[in-house]
Amino acid sequence: MPIQRRTFLAGTAAAAAAVSAPAIHAAAKSKQYRTALIGAGWWGMNILREALAAGQTKVVALADVDSDRLEINAEEVNDLSGETPAVYSDYRELFEKEDIEVAIIATPDHWHALNTIAAINAGAHVFIEKPTGHTIGESQAILNASEMSDRVVQVGMHRRIGPHHVSGMKFLKSGGAGEVGMVRMFVHSRGGEEKPTRNSEPPENLDWEMYCGPAPLRPYCGRIHPGGFRNYLGFANGTLGDWGVHWLDQVLWWCDQQSPRSVYSVGGRPIKGEAVLTEKEQTTDAPDHQIATYQFDDFTAHWEHRRFAGKGPEQTSIGCYFFGTKGTFHMGWRDGWTFYPADEKKSIIHEDSQLQEPDGHNIKLLWADFLQAIETGSKPVAGIEIGHQATTLSLLGMLSLKLGRSIQWDGNTIPDDPDAARLLRRDYRGDWVYPS
Amino acid sequence: MNTLVRRAVLSLTIVAFLLTPLSAEDWFRWRGPNLDGISSESDWDCDWPEGKAVIAWRASVGIGYSSVVIADGRVFTIGHVDGHDVVHAIHESDGTIAWRFQYPATLDDRDFEGGPTSTPTVDGEQVYVLSRAGELFCLNVGTGESIWQQSVAEQADVRLPGWGCSAAPLVVGDRLLVNLGAAGAVVDKKTGELIWSSEDRESGYATPVVMPDSNPPAAIFASGKAYVAVEIETGRQLWSERWLTSFNCNAADPIISERRMFLSSGYNRGAALFELGKEAPKLIWKSKEMKNQIHGSILYEGCLYGLDGDMEAGARLRCMDWKTGEVRWSEDDLQPGGMTLAGGRLILLTESGELLVAPADAEVWRPIAETKVVEGKCWTGPVLSNGRIYVRSIQGELVCIDCRS
Repeated sequence: MPIQRRTFLAGTAAAAAAVSAPAIHAAAKSKQYRTALIGAGWWGMNILREALAAGQTKVVALADVDSDRLEINAEEVNDLSGETPAVYSDYRELFEKEDIEVAIIATPDHWHALNTIAAINAGAHVFIEKPTGHTIGESQAILNASEMSDRVVQVGMHRRIGPHHVSGMKFLKSGGAGEVGMVRMFVHSRGGEEKPTRNSEPPENLDWEMYCGPAPLRPYCGRIHPGGFRNYLGFANGTLGDWGVHWLDQVLWWCDQQSPRSVYSVGGRPIKGEAVLTEKEQTTDAPDHQIATYQFDDFTAHWEHRRFAGKGPEQTSIGCYFFGTKGTFHMGWRDGWTFYPADEKKSIIHEDSQLQEPDGHNIKLLWADFLQAIETGSKPVAGIEIGHQATTLSLLGMLSLKLGRSIQWDGNTIPDDPDAARLLRRDYRGDWVYPS
Repeated sequence: MNTLVRRAVLSLTIVAFLLTPLSAEDWFRWRGPNLDGISSESDWDCDWPEGKAVIAWRASVGIGYSSVVIADGRVFTIGHVDGHDVVHAIHESDGTIAWRFQYPATLDDRDFEGGPTSTPTVDGEQVYVLSRAGELFCLNVGTGESIWQQSVAEQADVRLPGWGCSAAPLVVGDRLLVNLGAAGAVVDKKTGELIWSSEDRESGYATPVVMPDSNPPAAIFASGKAYVAVEIETGRQLWSERWLTSFNCNAADPIISERRMFLSSGYNRGAALFELGKEAPKLIWKSKEMKNQIHGSILYEGCLYGLDGDMEAGARLRCMDWKTGEVRWSEDDLQPGGMTLAGGRLILLTESGELLVAPADAEVWRPIAETKVVEGKCWTGPVLSNGRIYVRSIQGELVCIDCRS
């Protein structure tokens, strides 16, 4: 690694927070929205910090099934704003006792529908993390609830507003890459065999029964929480249900929200090994690689992820390739966008990303758009229809993988195929009621 | 402190500095003889022509993160080899093996490369080793023969932290302090007999630190959720400073100086300085600008030198004012793997095995020497002892660099 030396002079870097005063003095705006965060983990706090920094947020409550998360994040909210939010282990109690104007939903996927519908019913505008459901029926239920209310729902797909995405999409839509016949979406990382983790008693600070909620109850192990839920198919949908939503949305954006006619996906765990779930130990169960093909009327899109081998010879591990008659356009993440002309005599065109670090996102812009939609009635840039459609495509890929064959899609449902249509929803555990 | 007192302290410090022998010293325990991560050796050389240092020897010690300790001409460390953790005693002079001692252990490479993470402690004729599974071994320093061994985790009936035990055992008088449970455990260093233990909760990963001038003697243990002060003799809790972080990962040793205590953890926890008194610690400042995920900072002449942020993503090397928490400077692109301080100079090992030396300067990071010494990922701090710098990679290449003038 080449070593670069850079030195900040004394005083240019941020100083410590004085104990007596809040660190962030929010910009003074007239309206302060009484805000609740449901799911106070790493990403939820990323969103909440942006909300606070935007200056129109008064954090009145946090809900989480982990009392440690509540405590540490309530402390941070106090450090940032000088106010201490109420904390709840059950989001239902929060909505019952607090008057909430804005709810941020950042729980694991299997909770998104119940949390969001409760928030809308409580009269809150909702900023919900993607995906908008663990099964397609849940996402549809959020869409229904949203349509029946006048509340704004923004889905956390910040790539809809990120500067290099906006300019890249303009380049594509104005024919910069010529006529595009195929798109490849991909996310690759390193990895290898997965050894089982011993099950253990849930830590004292975690309400494991409530964590599992409507999902099947499984033995606890330290890999799941905090931060590991995405690789357990009872709670989420692996890489396609995570990154896939972002990149599928880029394709949908580019093609003006067309719908695929059919979806076919294969994948498995040849490297991580067979999923294990016994009384003693368990592994994750999401695929370590997956390919999903989406057949649209005028083009084909395919998803590919692998969690081994790293980025490979192309020197990029993430994004979308739009293959057009004039060349290949790469919509990336930290590496911005790049157009490689088919005519090698022509120059490569590139634009850098403009992200917020350390986590490389554009939540600040997305939050500003959310506030604008609430205040002016403008259409949010990543509204529920958009989130629902991208989520649906990712979940159709998972559905085909589980079914082991291709499926048809008419834009709303899987026609004339009851075996497949059954997987559009799942049974909830115990007293939890699947939303409609 | 008023100016007069400060001047007096300053002149005393200078006198003390002048009186400090510049001769070699054994780094016989974690964070060194003075438990501050600082070696007083100044008579060492980093004149590395064309970036090439004199490599005295290289040895293969197995996978792991264990640091080295040095006593009476021998270097001790632990590494994982084929289903065992192997304690290596290596001759300081030529890198040949004096003895090895091994115990069965799993590599346990969940979320990282695995292998032992704690560092041995030498105490006279004994060397103490704590395994990730919470077993303590007392070995003869000369021969490597086992004097006694005990599973502290089993005796105390407490759970292991998520990534296993990683603290070095600390000798205080006849007692051996082990970071296990809600507020540590103490065994008799001669027999391994458990004297007291604490509640069944996850410990943290930092090594216990003795409270200076405490009477009766007290130590601070990092649990998964707090830094707890306890009387060493009885285990009686004096106070507990709640310090939550993701994954219960309190890994940086607390730093105590002039009745102040500095705490820092990663995963967006950050740092804080407390005033210590008879009662619970009183907060002086807190900051998100120093997040010690794995390595403790080093306090030197009123400034903290530390690694801020997530190691995997690339931590920042920072200098922070002890009194105010103000960041004096920040080097964001070094990808540091570990650091030590000797004779007023910072010795930084990058993740990819480059060694950089720079004066410990509160104004600026300005390296005066640089050399590539090892291939592969390095997350273990370098150690300087008796004029030699020791560097290890996670895969277990141990390199001895001869820096004697």
